[in-house]
Amino acid sequence: MTSSTPEPARRTLLTLAATAALAGLPAFTASAAPARPADEPAGRTDARHLLWWRAPGDAHSLIEQGLPVGTGRLGALASNDPGRELLLITDATMWTGGLNDTLDADGQFPYGRDDFGSLTLLARLTVDLPDHDLGSVTGYRRTLDLDRGVVGCTYVQGGATYRREVFASRPDDVIVVHFTQSGGGRYTGTVTLEGTHGEDPAPSFGASFPGGLRYGAAVTAYGSGGRVRVRGDRIDVAGCREFTVVVGGGTNYAPDAAAGYRDPSLDPLELARTKVRDAAAHPAEVLRRTHVADHQALYRRFDLDLGTSTARARGLDTWERVNLRHTGGEPDPELEAAYVHFGRYLMIAGSRGSLPMGLQGLWLDGNDPDWMGDYHTDINLQMNYWMADRTGLSPCFDALTDYCLAQLPAWTDLTHRLFGDPRNRYRNSSGKTAGWTVAISTNPHGGNGWWWHPAGNAWLCNTLFEHYEYTLSRPHLERIHPLLRGAVDFWEARLVTADAPDGTGEVLIADSDWSPEHGPLDAKGITYAQELVWTLFGNYARAAEELGRDHEHAARIARLREKLYLPGVSPKTGWLKEWMSPENLGETTHRHLSPLVGLFPGDRIRPDGSTPKEIVEGATALLTARGTESFGWANAWRALCWARLKNAEKAYQLVVNNLRPSTGGANGTAFNLFDIYQTGPGRGIFQIDANLGTPAAVSEMVLYSRPGHLELLPALPAAWSSAGSVSGLPARGGFTVDLAWRDGEPTSVRIRSTGGRRTTVVHGGTSRTVALKPGESVTLNGFAR
Amino acid sequence: MGSSSYSVLPARGLRAVVVLAVAAGLATTAPAARADSAPSSPASSTAPAAKPYMGWSSWSMQSSKYPGLNPDGDYSYLTEANVLKQADAMAAKLKKYGYEYVNIDAGWWRDRAWTPEFDGYARQKADPKRFPRGMGAVADDLHAKGLKAGIYLPVGLEKEAYDDGKTPIWNAEGCTTADIVYDDLRTTNGWDSAYKIDFSDPCAQKYVDSQARMFADWGYDFLKLDGVGPGSFKSGDNYDNVADVAAWQKAIAATGRPIHLELSWSLNIGHAADWKKHSQGWRIDTDVECYCNTLVSWENSVDDRWVDLPAWTRHAGPGGWNDLDALDVGNGEMDGLTKAERQSAATLWAIAKSPLYTGDDLTRLDSYGLSLLTNREVIAVNQGDTPPAHLVTASDPQQVWAAKNPDGTYTVALFNLADRPAAVTADFSALGFTGRAAVRDLWNHESLGTHRDGITQALPAHGSRLFTLTPKGAADVSRTGYEAESGGNTLAGSASVADCSACSGGKKVGNLYTGGRLTFNDVVVPAAGTYQVRISYVSGDARPASVSANGNGAVRHTFAATGDWGTVSTATVPVQLKAGANTVTVDSGSDYAPDIDRIDVIRSS
Repeated sequence: MTSSTPEPARRTLLTLAATAALAGLPAFTASAAPARPADEPAGRTDARHLLWWRAPGDAHSLIEQGLPVGTGRLGALASNDPGRELLLITDATMWTGGLNDTLDADGQFPYGRDDFGSLTLLARLTVDLPDHDLGSVTGYRRTLDLDRGVVGCTYVQGGATYRREVFASRPDDVIVVHFTQSGGGRYTGTVTLEGTHGEDPAPSFGASFPGGLRYGAAVTAYGSGGRVRVRGDRIDVAGCREFTVVVGGGTNYAPDAAAGYRDPSLDPLELARTKVRDAAAHPAEVLRRTHVADHQALYRRFDLDLGTSTARARGLDTWERVNLRHTGGEPDPELEAAYVHFGRYLMIAGSRGSLPMGLQGLWLDGNDPDWMGDYHTDINLQMNYWMADRTGLSPCFDALTDYCLAQLPAWTDLTHRLFGDPRNRYRNSSGKTAGWTVAISTNPHGGNGWWWHPAGNAWLCNTLFEHYEYTLSRPHLERIHPLLRGAVDFWEARLVTADAPDGTGEVLIADSDWSPEHGPLDAKGITYAQELVWTLFGNYARAAEELGRDHEHAARIARLREKLYLPGVSPKTGWLKEWMSPENLGETTHRHLSPLVGLFPGDRIRPDGSTPKEIVEGATALLTARGTESFGWANAWRALCWARLKNAEKAYQLVVNNLRPSTGGANGTAFNLFDIYQTGPGRGIFQIDANLGTPAAVSEMVLYSRPGHLELLPALPAAWSSAGSVSGLPARGGFTVDLAWRDGEPTSVRIRSTGGRRTTVVHGGTSRTVALKPGESVTLNGFAR
Repeated sequence: MGSSSYSVLPARGLRAVVVLAVAAGLATTAPAARADSAPSSPASSTAPAAKPYMGWSSWSMQSSKYPGLNPDGDYSYLTEANVLKQADAMAAKLKKYGYEYVNIDAGWWRDRAWTPEFDGYARQKADPKRFPRGMGAVADDLHAKGLKAGIYLPVGLEKEAYDDGKTPIWNAEGCTTADIVYDDLRTTNGWDSAYKIDFSDPCAQKYVDSQARMFADWGYDFLKLDGVGPGSFKSGDNYDNVADVAAWQKAIAATGRPIHLELSWSLNIGHAADWKKHSQGWRIDTDVECYCNTLVSWENSVDDRWVDLPAWTRHAGPGGWNDLDALDVGNGEMDGLTKAERQSAATLWAIAKSPLYTGDDLTRLDSYGLSLLTNREVIAVNQGDTPPAHLVTASDPQQVWAAKNPDGTYTVALFNLADRPAAVTADFSALGFTGRAAVRDLWNHESLGTHRDGITQALPAHGSRLFTLTPKGAADVSRTGYEAESGGNTLAGSASVADCSACSGGKKVGNLYTGGRLTFNDVVVPAAGTYQVRISYVSGDARPASVSANGNGAVRHTFAATGDWGTVSTATVPVQLKAGANTVTVDSGSDYAPDIDRIDVIRSS
């Protein structure tokens, strides 16, 4: 479809609105009574599943020192200071802006906190226990139990051992802080809930943003052995042997463009009160068991063991291990595996039943996160979700699908109305516009921010399609089909013809564009767009085949795909070209790897003989030139690319670079394992993409897959080779893999079909073909030496 | 008082009206000494300043803009009524813990407009508004409460007392103020508020004698001599007050009354021997007071003490102590410090064996402040027969200080000077022993059981812990030394070997700046692990350097000043070593690093 007339677009809008209505209920909504398990399985104390520290978080540095919890929608950072527990709470839908559909003078989108908007805090919860000042307690120990999804701390004072647990329960839709002790201790203090947008402190509050989004939060507390009562704007706790604080909240956001992304019938304040009251009807142990069961249903789908660490590393807390890993220069396989499991913990805590995770997930330390904490569609959002399938958390991927579907009507409308604006330097020179695309930044209210990003639609679709390749879920494919179709329509209207650089005739190239955040602003046929569209068109054809629809259109798209220009190697630089030019038009070590999207996440460039040697060499040379010292997400992407090139040690070096302890805002890993992105001298900010992208890289080092092809241990570094295992590892093509290795060689391999029927399994020089029915599994013995 | 006060006083402007002040002085015909004066307390049976003194000083409250403290103008808090009120509170709450000195600071001879009073012999005289009964009556009252009395003077002949050189010197036939200063009226002290005294004229000693006699006759037990140089932010001949201090020592001795002589402020460490010879204590730093709405603040300048004290530690001992200034931890609101900061200050003062005098309003101590000031276990660290603690680690945000006590125990303090909570570890091998030790938490009056190899605690921002460690059948550590000047080392950049008489082997490696680097090439250990490496270094000022092993993960440390370029100190830092041969590198990076004498790798033997 290449028409720019409004009528078909309006029809599309209606169709899509109907689809979006199926996308999901409002994020904050009444929920059924959860199943309450009678007991809780034994916890795991392996270092890779249990992080611990010897110091609490500083109230003013929670972004680096707070420990995250989240229900998938409602998240918090906890200080775990004995004398003052502080939780900074936000909700994935707590967004200040709106549709933002008035272009700036340059034809691009405004990017401010009022128009485009920003993720922002919902509330601060403080539990003051003045007698428990950190200076007066001993033996302080703080844990993040990844396996149970529980943050906690213990300490001793006056002969009593005090224990605190913080968890965010998706079944009960609240955050719980449970204070217990043994040895005759008592708790006396105050619980205070405060808004962060000028609301009066109160045990519950509700307000709204100028754009109309309503929000609310509520807290309650209950205990035993003493007294808990509301006193004015706070809750007093006096002489309790144990007590529990329950906090909840949310907004009236609805993932529905037709409703303006609001549920007018929803009163967030009332709902928050109801939720905390319902939860508070249960003892904290029951709430915790309910939460742990829910958490482990996801967490325990997968495990990864990269080997045993040295005795001296094992004696240290997590932050000391991060430092020892850096200063000692020796591998710490347990810490490196823990970093993967921490990313998985964040995915479970941050991406369920609501919006997907943007630049910071659910974790903020102020109302104004850098870059709004938004969705960046030119790497960061996609990177966040590479790990979902790769580490056994496919259900967490759905938040991204739901989001794109809910945004599609607005994205389509904005593209139709605004993309062709003559002031937009990226508009189609043909004058025709179809389908949908996005800007570099997007928000949850259908809005775009900053500059148009034409190829963003293709990358989002390819990411959604990859999830189909992992799951072979036909319902998922049906759901995303409108997104694919709209993106294909967009590119059908946008491609222009040009003479092939090698003189082989006419090719199709993308209109003027900016290779993300790099080089010239008006380059035609950028590699980034060519590769993404080539993959998009291929995915569209496969979707048509799987769904048995659109044969003619798919055939036409397949023909267009064959005419797409695909980049070669610059004779000048020896690199795979980023632009249709032999020159290096940008920064050699630029953070983005946009011209390598065909290496990862794409499949066009394969070092297995199926891709021309010079292309692989050109990609390798470009990746080499980009270096190994960059921001966290950029290192993660580099690690993924090196894994695809089977260079285990380079990939490992990049993983390790992200584990460098960050001090003074430097790039690396903070005290709480959050990735820090240095924005200037002495200033760093949290960006979650490296926390999520690095686990994807580790997964790709252990298993490479594409439909019909699995490769075991393609890039296993020496540091992890002596012995290790992975279980529940999904593979593209509809399989999961259990794999153990010793001395770098597989010792046991089990393949289970989750829908896939046939695949080759490769390791070293050995190749096996496996044929299975869905649900069946097979153990392969042929790979052990 | 000290660094900030005088220069901002109204007095500065009043120098122009010095004539007026002198005229007032002449009009006064007070007796030179009180007829009824008599020693009010027996001479101490122990040596002077056998242990750090304890008490209270008026300056913190005088200097503060805390609401209500100085309603009649700057420094107006100082009155007889207020001093006696504080003395009553001290007698009631603190005396039984050892606090005894009540020290009257600057201004007792000046009115609210800071105009001075003199007695006709160029000696300071009580301002009648502030001290209507005179200074002797106050001392008598203090003694009656079982306390000791302290008083204050700036060093030199105050300009206002000069009176054109005509004022006679008491009990010095033929001597006038003209005889005791230089002909060119060169000025001295930290504020240039006095003429430098020329001790080549015998009249000069007579003048100091007359002041000492006066204080003795009034019954004072303590004198703070302020603005003393080299120090007090001054250097050069005009500000060299060593002769003044010596004269004061002699004059005090001549009175027959034991008067403790304390020097202020920021005394020059190069003259430490002079201060030790002639006085019982010396302020190592600028005023602790912030001259703001609280008494002090962490950044201005409580935290400076951790930076400046290490170089001084070796100079403290019975007879003379490093004075960290007032310990203002008694009332959180007035002090301007967090609880953690208050405990940390009290910890440092205690382990440094600094005099323990508070500047708080003793009538308004809060319960936490009272607990800090009256913790007998902590006071025992300060007052007991134990050496001052020294900085064991580098001068980093997380620090360990320790003293090995005569009874075999160790006093160990952990500090977290960072702005956020952090865990701090005292590694036993860095202290000099291995194995197990029983740990007593002095602040919390709690035994923490037996710990092996080290003890780690979480500390709040600016927080501290104070322990006594009792080793349990512990063994000494062994150390393997590597000289910096060894030919097997690699020197890079500007680094070069230099003579150093205080250094082992008589040499060091210096010129470690902007890329200068010293690598020890063959540091052999039997097993991989974290080793404590004691770095012996020389550094006149505090300097950073990065330390790394085998080219991995350099850690930047700050090395505290050693006091001068001829003194060696040590800092023990953890280094990750592998089994067998290692390289250990000290790298100046983009800075100036200390000179390195040697390193010792500490091993459990």
